[in-house]
Amino acid sequence: MSKALSVEVRDVHKFFTRGGERLDVLNGLSLDVPQQEFLALMGPSGSGKTTLLNLIAGLDTPSSGEIQVAGAVISQMSEAALATWRTRNIGFVFQFYHLLPVLSALENVELPLLLLPLSAKQRREQALNALDIVGLADRVHHRPGQLSGGQQQRVGIARAIVTDPAIIVADEPTGDLDAKSAEAILELLVQLKSSLGKSIVMVTHDPRAAQRADRTLHLDKGRLVESGMLEHA
Amino acid sequence: MKYLSLIFRNISRNRVRSILTALGTMVLVLVVTLVWSVLDFLQKATSEKNANIKAIVTEKWQFPSQMPFSYAGPLSEGGPREKGDYRVKPDDSMTWQFYGGSLVQDPKQRNPLENLFAFAMEPRKIMTMMDDLDDLPKRDPKAAEEFKKVIEKMEQTKNGLIVGKDRLKLLNKTVGDKFKIYSINYKGIDLDFEVVGVVPPGRYDGSVFMRRDYLLDGLDQYERNNKKKHPLAEKTLGLVWLRVPDQPTFQKVAKQITTNPAFSSPAVKVETSSSGIGAFLDAYRDLFWGMRYLLAPAIWVTLSLVISNAISISVRERRLEFAVLKVLGFRPGHILWMVLGEALLLGLSAGLLSAGATWYFVNKVMIGIKFPIAFFPAFFIPIDALWWGVMVGGVAALAGSLLPAWSARTVKVSDVFAKIA
Repeated sequence: MSKALSVEVRDVHKFFTRGGERLDVLNGLSLDVPQQEFLALMGPSGSGKTTLLNLIAGLDTPSSGEIQVAGAVISQMSEAALATWRTRNIGFVFQFYHLLPVLSALENVELPLLLLPLSAKQRREQALNALDIVGLADRVHHRPGQLSGGQQQRVGIARAIVTDPAIIVADEPTGDLDAKSAEAILELLVQLKSSLGKSIVMVTHDPRAAQRADRTLHLDKGRLVESGMLEHA
Repeated sequence: MKYLSLIFRNISRNRVRSILTALGTMVLVLVVTLVWSVLDFLQKATSEKNANIKAIVTEKWQFPSQMPFSYAGPLSEGGPREKGDYRVKPDDSMTWQFYGGSLVQDPKQRNPLENLFAFAMEPRKIMTMMDDLDDLPKRDPKAAEEFKKVIEKMEQTKNGLIVGKDRLKLLNKTVGDKFKIYSINYKGIDLDFEVVGVVPPGRYDGSVFMRRDYLLDGLDQYERNNKKKHPLAEKTLGLVWLRVPDQPTFQKVAKQITTNPAFSSPAVKVETSSSGIGAFLDAYRDLFWGMRYLLAPAIWVTLSLVISNAISISVRERRLEFAVLKVLGFRPGHILWMVLGEALLLGLSAGLLSAGATWYFVNKVMIGIKFPIAFFPAFFIPIDALWWGVMVGGVAALAGSLLPAWSARTVKVSDVFAKIA
């Protein structure tokens, strides 16, 4: 029996206009991501993988086509509606972490919870729990500048999962890390999928990172050019 | 609360810039507060009152007014002529004569700092009729009790002087000192004085009060010594002040004085103190207009631009951060209010701090701004300046941060991350 889908992308086109010239980035792309799948997106620069990730995360809207994520059709939502939707449904992991330097690890993780109707105590408990999941329970009061790159990325992941979203999107989460830290982050993502049941869509240039995913899709010039299911024990 | 904490932390992120912006705001709020304090004071002084009105009787065709002292008695009662005319109660009037002189006899050796210029009047009227002293019992009962004793001492001491603390310091005298004053305006009437007390701090710090009967005695003595009247003997009365309960009474008193033939040579005029001060200030009209409609708005615009510049730089530096917040679910409105909140917090705090410090420094340390105009030797910062300061800082911050905040609100996430990639 096939799993329910977390993400459904149907015949999506996306183009930008730069200097009066139209740039087609995605050309009729369709894609399904089942629940609890770890999907890697690979491709050369300009192939459209980050654009696709942004569309799935509701950071941008397609020029045409339909995108359904976590049961909601997000391709027609307004910017404000998408923002509200993202809070509960999407966790985003950045390549360069993008933590607020003036806030501690705990406060950075609490940030998305400010938008939810939670008490201060509930916010703190959820944020501490998220930091515990990523193995940073002993670094909660450290500011980003006092943490290593790998630790900052863990805080970034804790921030992504703190609202308990169904889907985590990660844009080259290991791109700024050394091999050891990168491996640890990938292991954490795999655990999030298997133990917390998250669906993960990850953009990466690194084939070793892609190997940790359940499936890898390759994009080129805005189209999927190859796909293969990788089974992992 | 957490949101406010985030705003506060963002302000403290670049402390040097925040402090410089706050200092700029404080300086400009200080200037606006000072300008508005003077304007507000004059506005109140020239606003017509409906009750408890003070009327001024002066010579109609000459400034400064020089009326004969024989006018003093009947004018102080409201100039009644016919049965049924309104009579001003004795306690509700006062007369002003002016006696100026120097501690130094030789006119060539005189230094303006050693001069004094005294209001010659009935001692008990100082506390019942002089502006800002007539309400002393309500404002400061303890100071009023002390001052009452000083007045009583003056009533017992014909050559007594009550001196403002600044003037006393300039004269280098203290209470109890006795000295001779060589007159400047009443030539030949040099008088011995004894300082019997000091005026409560405030509006009359530079003023001096003497008894009017002592001046009149001096005029009589001059006549006895010189077998002729002093040239100013029939021109000694400067102003007569009358307190009337309301506008209709004022109109009636004004009419009965101006139509009374006893006051026709010289002719007199009656006006409210507000309109009298207003007429005096008319010469400064352009200056006040410029302060109100050019200086204050120009400062406000400058303040807004200073804040706008600082917030714009901050927003440009934090575009990525706003994009990240949007990714986390912050809506454009949240970003807008966060930037506006930072500017407002900075502007309101700096405004309150500046106005509070100005109020304390001017009123408690400087004891007023020395801006001598229209019998007002010093101006004080009203307590209202606290909310003026908050409003000036807040409105300037809001105006200055609107565009930068809108720019932050419209940050497009995909554009910001595309540039990073």
